[in-house]
Amino acid sequence: MAIFMIDKVKKSFANGDVEEQVLKGINLSLDEGEITALVGPSGSGKSTLLTIAAGLQRASDGHVYFNGKNMTNMSQEQIRQIRASEFGFVFQSSHLVPFLTVEEQLMLMLTISDTKIKKQEQKVEVTKILKLVEMDHRRDSYPSSLSGGEKQRVAIARAIIHQPKMLFADEPTASLDSKRSKDVMKLIQDLTKRLNITTLMVTHDEEMLTYSDRVITMKDGLIV
Amino acid sequence: MNIAWKEIKKSKIRFLILGSIVFLVSFLTLIISGLSNGLSQDNAALIKDLPDGQFYMNEHANETYNLSRIDESTQETLVNEQKDAAALSIQMGFVNDADDKQHSVAFVTSTDSNLFEKVEIGEIVLDQSIEEDGIKVGDAVTNNQFGGEFIVKGFVDQKKYSHAPVAYINMENYQEIYGVKEMQLVFVPGQDNAQAIDGLQSFSNKEFLSTIPSYSAEQMSLNMIIWFLVVISGMLFAIFFYMMNVQKIGLYGILRALGVKTSRLFGMMWYQMFFITAIALTLSVALSQGFTMIAPEGMPFILTLEITIQLSIIFLIIGFIGATLSGFQIRKVEPLHAIQQGEI
Ligand SMILES: Nc1ncnc2c1ncn2[C@@H]1O[C@H](COP(=O)(O)OP(=O)(O)O)[C@@H](O)[C@H]1O
Ligand SMILES: [Mg+2]
Repeated sequence: MAIFMIDKVKKSFANGDVEEQVLKGINLSLDEGEITALVGPSGSGKSTLLTIAAGLQRASDGHVYFNGKNMTNMSQEQIRQIRASEFGFVFQSSHLVPFLTVEEQLMLMLTISDTKIKKQEQKVEVTKILKLVEMDHRRDSYPSSLSGGEKQRVAIARAIIHQPKMLFADEPTASLDSKRSKDVMKLIQDLTKRLNITTLMVTHDEEMLTYSDRVITMKDGLIV
Repeated sequence: MNIAWKEIKKSKIRFLILGSIVFLVSFLTLIISGLSNGLSQDNAALIKDLPDGQFYMNEHANETYNLSRIDESTQETLVNEQKDAAALSIQMGFVNDADDKQHSVAFVTSTDSNLFEKVEIGEIVLDQSIEEDGIKVGDAVTNNQFGGEFIVKGFVDQKKYSHAPVAYINMENYQEIYGVKEMQLVFVPGQDNAQAIDGLQSFSNKEFLSTIPSYSAEQMSLNMIIWFLVVISGMLFAIFFYMMNVQKIGLYGILRALGVKTSRLFGMMWYQMFFITAIALTLSVALSQGFTMIAPEGMPFILTLEITIQLSIIFLIIGFIGATLSGFQIRKVEPLHAIQQGEI
């Protein structure tokens, strides 16, 4: 059963006087627990599609369904709530909060998401996830003292700590070397399978495709 | 989790700078306000310490009490109307002590009233500040317009007029020195609304103070300075919070992308603003109160608790407005922008 459906989604941006159509009618459905990779040349609209799916911007036309609900008709606040509690994000750079320790980054995400995890169990949960990403030993460190790979592992931990249904990742390994990239991909694969999280991921690295269940190629705003 | 506090802890320097600026401006404002109040007291304690009421002067006096003469029958009816009502006159002048040293004073005389000193003919009651110049009870002082001598009968506390100590003398002596029979003013305490009396113009205490040219000019400049400081500090708040927010646009974008409510981001900003302002104000209030104690004797400096609290509240409000105005840009932050812009 598809948990996520993208239905005839179009997106255009006003570029001066010209309307530039970046997405020209995308249909895509994602099955629960699967990892779908979006590939394609730069500028083909992968990031745009991902951010529309993730509720970070709206489509110009078409619909996005999550769990059977049409997100296109939702208010900004409803979408925010979904982002906070049902979605997780990993981006090209880790975007950690500079003044929070590794542990606090995860605790913050639990607060934001209004998690069902009880207060006294939150620390335990944080420890569990930090162990999964092998960052437990750095729990009291600030982002500035972490390496790029470590930061990205914390970002992944933050993206799944609140047990989201969906994980959106935009070139999560772009800033890492080949060995680190594989580690991070293995980690994403391992975690999403274990927690039954549905993943939509943009990548331009052929090597990463071995970790996905499905590869979708985009070109000029269309799926080919 | 209190991320506002976590940020303050991690970016101490930044918040320390903001705090110091709030401290300096609020301290300066409190000091100026203390001086303003002190000067105002030094300039017109004689009038300011009177209970609320009405002053009457001749309507042809051009609102200048010095030019006012109130004829005796009108004075009689007005003064008899109420127990503490008094006719009075004020004139700047000098007294010379035994060493022939000249002291500038404000001569004040009045009809019988509890509000003014009752002085017998040939006697004088002086403001205490003149005691420091070496004049003692029982001394004789003279005035070049006056044939006899005044014997110093005693001193009163805090009676100043036009920055000079007040010298109460008997009405007969006053009439001799200045060669006039009529008094300049009648003061009727406790009257909220003036009576309409033919030939007289009435003034509330406040209105009367503003007819004294030196007083209103002085107070106006000082109040201007205070309000400028308040406005400037409000702008500083807004500018500094704005600059901090600009640096944090990326962070706000990420937090919003993760699903943080905008109201929570505002809450974060307000918390930080109140925290910084509260500490800065506590410091400047403590220091300005300390200054009250160490201010040199001759320096007119009065900073009441009431004014301190008033100004503190104004500063908190101003800080709140400044932070909030600068915070409106948060609402415009596109979460997407922050993500695409890379590192924060
Ligand atoms: N906010 C925007 N305003 C205008 N044009 C945009 C905006 N976002 C993306 N684009 C344009 O859309 C096209 C696709 O961009 P993007 O989705 O980032 O491609 P990809 O991720 O596949 O490299 C590009 O030509 C880009 O310039
Ligand atoms: Mg992209």
